[in-house]
Amino acid sequence: MLSELVEAKNDREAPSRARWSSVNFAEKYGLGGLLVLMILVFGLFAPTSRLFFSPPNIQNILANQSVTGLIALAMVITLVAGYFDISVAAIAGISSVTMASLLATDQVPIGIAMLVAVLLALVAGIVNATLITTLDLDPFIVTLGTYVLINGILLAYTGGRVVQGVPASIGNWGAGQWLGIARPFWLLVLAAAIVWYLLNQTPFGRKLAAIGSNRSAAGLAGIGVKRHVFIAYMLGALVAGVAGVLLTVRSGSADAASAPSFLFPALAAVFLGQTTTKSGYPNVVGAMIGVFFVAIAVNGFTLLGAQNWITQVFNGGVLVLAVAFSKVMVRVRDRNAKKRNGMAT
Amino acid sequence: MVDEALLSVRGISKMYPGTLALDGVDLDIRGGEIHALVGGNGCGKSTLIKILSGVVEADAGEMHIAGHTVEAARIHPRRAYDLGIRVVHQDLAVFPDLSVAENLRLGTDYPATGFGQVRWHELRRGARDAIQKLDIAARPHDLIRDLPVAVRAQIAAARAMRGMDGRNGIIILDEPTASLPRHEVHVLFRAVRRMASEGHAVLFVSHRLDEVLELTQRVTVMRDGRVVSEHSTASLTEQDLIGSILGERSIPERAERVVVGGRSTERDLRPPVLKISDLNAGPLRHVNLELRAGEVVGVAGLLGSGRTELLRALYGDLRKSSGRVELNGRRVAFRDPGQAIAAGVIMVPEDRVNAGIFPDLTVDENMSISVLRKYWRGGWFRRAAIQRDAGVLRKRFRVKTPSGDVAIRSLSGGNQQKVVMGRWLRLDPALLLLDEPTQGVDVGARADIYAAVREATHGGSAALIVTSDLEELAQVVDRAVVLHEGRIVAEVPASELSAQGLNELIYQRGEESHVV
Repeated sequence: MLSELVEAKNDREAPSRARWSSVNFAEKYGLGGLLVLMILVFGLFAPTSRLFFSPPNIQNILANQSVTGLIALAMVITLVAGYFDISVAAIAGISSVTMASLLATDQVPIGIAMLVAVLLALVAGIVNATLITTLDLDPFIVTLGTYVLINGILLAYTGGRVVQGVPASIGNWGAGQWLGIARPFWLLVLAAAIVWYLLNQTPFGRKLAAIGSNRSAAGLAGIGVKRHVFIAYMLGALVAGVAGVLLTVRSGSADAASAPSFLFPALAAVFLGQTTTKSGYPNVVGAMIGVFFVAIAVNGFTLLGAQNWITQVFNGGVLVLAVAFSKVMVRVRDRNAKKRNGMAT
Repeated sequence: MVDEALLSVRGISKMYPGTLALDGVDLDIRGGEIHALVGGNGCGKSTLIKILSGVVEADAGEMHIAGHTVEAARIHPRRAYDLGIRVVHQDLAVFPDLSVAENLRLGTDYPATGFGQVRWHELRRGARDAIQKLDIAARPHDLIRDLPVAVRAQIAAARAMRGMDGRNGIIILDEPTASLPRHEVHVLFRAVRRMASEGHAVLFVSHRLDEVLELTQRVTVMRDGRVVSEHSTASLTEQDLIGSILGERSIPERAERVVVGGRSTERDLRPPVLKISDLNAGPLRHVNLELRAGEVVGVAGLLGSGRTELLRALYGDLRKSSGRVELNGRRVAFRDPGQAIAAGVIMVPEDRVNAGIFPDLTVDENMSISVLRKYWRGGWFRRAAIQRDAGVLRKRFRVKTPSGDVAIRSLSGGNQQKVVMGRWLRLDPALLLLDEPTQGVDVGARADIYAAVREATHGGSAALIVTSDLEELAQVVDRAVVLHEGRIVAEVPASELSAQGLNELIYQRGEESHVV
């Protein structure tokens, strides 16, 4: 009796659902749309158009953002579970400096140097994971702390100098192209595909999302929260390690400061990417669009003559705007959902 | 004074896309009266409260408040506040880390010196007056977090009387007892009666019908956006009220459900599902209990008696210090909930919002989280199968939702709980542990939830249910045990179950603790 009534009511509510889908559409494709719009403006109308669409400029953006993109990916993995990892940019620094100095001073084979560099990054991830899961410490504070700490250690190790002497063959690989597009970009595409698959198409990834939505409920639903979070930090560090290797490959050298400086562009990209999902959750596709959104905006404005400050203004401004936008959209959506369900308490 | 309506509502209607939430609602509340507003989830009472407090604008209708007439389409929160309408929400909205005095004053201006420093003296004096007025067992400088929940509720109520300046206002209590332990409810009631005796009008919104009968003078029943009846509480029984709330869909089903399940002779023939011997864990001491297949056993006890811990210990969520637990004849010792679930033990936790649901995930995802691996084939999820199976479950558990694809957060409490039940019952568990499964759930959804439990136990599993609602417990279980300070002090067979009897046992001292 009641169920019939309920079904009748559901049928009545069905048309009103369609009305809100335009909001969904705008939200889902808004960031991508803005990106396309910006490319069109900088590429076709602004006085920058010739420079902007020049092959070197495009290749440069694609290759440069590969490192930012990898670091953003590393952040997304733990953020899906609701855990911050600020330190991934510094962890990339570990592997970057390690690889460069192994190659330069110790004449280690390239493969071994890469492996050791990534393994050291993994060790840093395990330290983070241990502090955060076994000791149950606040992830934001812990990783902020390890970020600064690693920075300091790297500075001490390099003595503030650039580690030179990486074989030229490596730099050549990084500068090369495949199918007409810079090689580092292909690496980013591959990594993004793997992380996307992991987070969206495996039970592990869905469980991370459940943890991110409600940690206590996840525990009571039989999900090993600490184990999943621990692994997430390790995976994040692994991706960060790869980012560091790529950075050294790209620049043919390494220094203490360059990898950590990717923190803010990556952070801005991740939060910008949150605006592309229903619930304001971090996600791979959004973060990737975010990376290039920020990069192209900065690039375009720089070509227009803006000075260095544009990077920071943009990163900071976008971060705040993105967080605000996500929140507002979630609120609007909740209100709409409540209206749709009518008077349901 | 008492005869005259302090608040009169005439012809309030509110249309939401696709639904008529309120359809010409009339309501009169007199000064000095405690008036109940009841109805199932989705009957429109929340919308009505929102309109009264100015949060939502109505489409049509008028409100007469203490001599002022307001168009219900033009109301806003400030206006409602100025007219003396106050709402106390069920989450109480008190600030745990601040003192009683500060809590009472927040929202209005602190008294301050010319330099802007708080005049603590005056703040405390004001608090002392308010405390005395409602006879609250707290001091102005006490921190809220150190006070019992019932006293916090009193403070929340006292806070609602800010800025009344001697006028009589309308105080709306929205499920004020939902977060209170059963035996502390009377503490809040005392404060509510004081408010009414001062001439304020109180609108008491609650799912707990026994409270409605105890506290209020009149009851307004809503269903499908309309006021269906108004009763004088004195001439009302709980059965009448349930009938009135449910309309034509009413009580016979419930009675039928009580009859099914084990009578003791036939019970002994069935295999035991759970056997607990001499269990010690947390506050629990020497607990012995046996559940047979098909049995639904209730656990009664005060808050802190160890009832929640009993379920958690069985679920691997609380370490047991000693004792033996057997599940279907095999000894088990779960170290975490994952192991319990794998062995066929499931738990629906007491705190649905904080421990039961994944608010941002969809209804279907919430239902499928327990069986994700089943749908993961060749490295990908079989989305179509997830959707199809979840759809079947939504029908079976009568989940009211526009689709399986909306965030569960937007569903009503009762429907969220049905989703959680669906998530676990789809595993065909051997043992169901349910902690306050019907808290904040309307009468119709309650029946659905217990029907689902019965369906599971008919298949040979057993259920252990903790609930503070003794009336309900007496109706739905086959047998009840009473916990007191971590010990089982009594066991009551179905034939002797009554809310009254259970109540007496619960408050008994521990001396007679060898009944079992």
